[in-house]
Amino acid sequence: MIARRQPPGPNGPAATRRRAWLRPVVQFSIAGVIAVVLLIVGAGWLSKKAATDEAISDARRMTEILGRSVAQPELSEAMVDPGNPAQSAAIDRFDSIARHRLLVGDVLRVKIWNSEGIIVYSDDTSLIGQNFGLGDEERKVLEHGGTDAEVSDLSKAENIDERSFGRLLEVYSQIWTPKGQPLLFEAYYSYDVVSQRSSDIQASFRPITVAGLLIFTLLIVPLVWILARRLDRAAAERERLLTAAVEASAVERRRIARDLHDGVVQDLAGLSFAASAASRDLKDDPELAARMESLGVGVRSNLRALRSLLVEIYPPELRTEGLAAALDDLIAPAIAAGIDVDLNVEDTEGSDDDAIGLVWRTAQEVVRNAVRHGQPEHLRVAVAMTDASLILTVEDDGRGFDPSAAPRDGHLGLRALRDLIHEMGADFTLESTPGTGTKVRMEVAR
Amino acid sequence: MFPLLSRAAAVAMAAAITIGSAGLAAADHGGGGSDVRREGSCSGSAHWKLKVKPDDGRLAVEVEIDSNRRGQVWSWRILHDGFTSYRGNRTTRAPSGSFSVERRVVDMSGSDLIGLRAKNSATGQTCRGHLAY
Repeated sequence: MIARRQPPGPNGPAATRRRAWLRPVVQFSIAGVIAVVLLIVGAGWLSKKAATDEAISDARRMTEILGRSVAQPELSEAMVDPGNPAQSAAIDRFDSIARHRLLVGDVLRVKIWNSEGIIVYSDDTSLIGQNFGLGDEERKVLEHGGTDAEVSDLSKAENIDERSFGRLLEVYSQIWTPKGQPLLFEAYYSYDVVSQRSSDIQASFRPITVAGLLIFTLLIVPLVWILARRLDRAAAERERLLTAAVEASAVERRRIARDLHDGVVQDLAGLSFAASAASRDLKDDPELAARMESLGVGVRSNLRALRSLLVEIYPPELRTEGLAAALDDLIAPAIAAGIDVDLNVEDTEGSDDDAIGLVWRTAQEVVRNAVRHGQPEHLRVAVAMTDASLILTVEDDGRGFDPSAAPRDGHLGLRALRDLIHEMGADFTLESTPGTGTKVRMEVAR
Repeated sequence: MFPLLSRAAAVAMAAAITIGSAGLAAADHGGGGSDVRREGSCSGSAHWKLKVKPDDGRLAVEVEIDSNRRGQVWSWRILHDGFTSYRGNRTTRAPSGSFSVERRVVDMSGSDLIGLRAKNSATGQTCRGHLAY
């Protein structure tokens, strides 16, 4: 299993932290631009729809006015009765008066239908008297009033003569004869006019929409920038406090370790030497000499345990004491547990302190795991040095485990160690299967 | 005038009157869109002319009354299938002592019967004329 992670940038964590506040601002700016574009497109679509509805509404009102104010006053009963012999003359009178007053503005054609679906009048006189029937919507308007607007279906027979106009909007409205017969008044408008009207309305709102969104974005970006800076400063402060807490803890641990080392450890060492010396001096009393020797062995054993505990409490001063000495102390508990330990450390002179520290931390975690969980008979710890790197190898013949399985409680430290190794850009390899022991290899640039 | 007559009956009756009048056809309508003219004498010395020609889906009807007397006031009517489409009063003008009126009527499906009526209230002269288009 090999995992690798890129080391921090050439300018270090400070530069990375300085750039960190930029990220949310850039992300917000990109998201803001996308949102503005989407809003502009959406607002454009909605305003176009609203403008089209407004334009069609205008056409509805226009049709109602034309029908009620222009066409209806000129209607006669004879005009709308196909069986009336006076129909032709009545249509002539209506045509002469209404034609020029109905075909105004955007109105391209008018038709007046009776309830049977017969066109009783149109400015296209060829349609007069023809029966095309009425659709449901048209009949509804004729019988109940209101208006109906739709895009003309130019494939219909009733609209054949309108094809030359292009796309049309047809609007229906109800009108009445003098005796109260309902008729359907229909006006055709060029849809280009509707589209133009829609575009005009839309164009009047577009600057407001776009400018509003842009101003909002321009106002909000500095706020996000300030907020991001504050968050960055807060994160830096948290990091500083954490570092200070860690350093304070390290100082305290170092003080305890130093006190133990300079006090208890030295005293125990003196006691063990004194016991051994007394044992040698008691040649006349072998029994007492044996008890004194046993006392000296016991003190040295406890001294070794105490030194291992000191290593646990505070890592050794690798620079002053050397990696070999530190690893020697590290394997002391393993030796005490009866494990055959083979330690081989090459000279690490000239290596980076961080690299040596990582070798130490890795060896500490792996050796500790081997002793606690592996129960090996043999343990081999080796540190080799090449021109470019330090290579730590820790190998045991213990119980082994499945690296792909979820870490047990005792192996959480290994996962944390792996993260540390990755952060320093080192290579980490762990090979293990249940029953065949474990082999760990870590290579870090020196 | 003929409130209970159908349009076809009105056309047939008017056509019969036309055939029996003194009017003369100056041109005929062959259905190809050309104009149709008819003229005749009024009850006095005046003459009438009636001309119908197609005009953008409608029929342009031109009526002329020539009495050779200027300043006469005539009431006139244009009939479509026997019923009055337009009416009015006009005065004959110099130098010819005539007046003319032009109006458009709807070109209905089938044959259209176009007629004129004119009356000089002062002299009692009346003019009548019809043509089928």
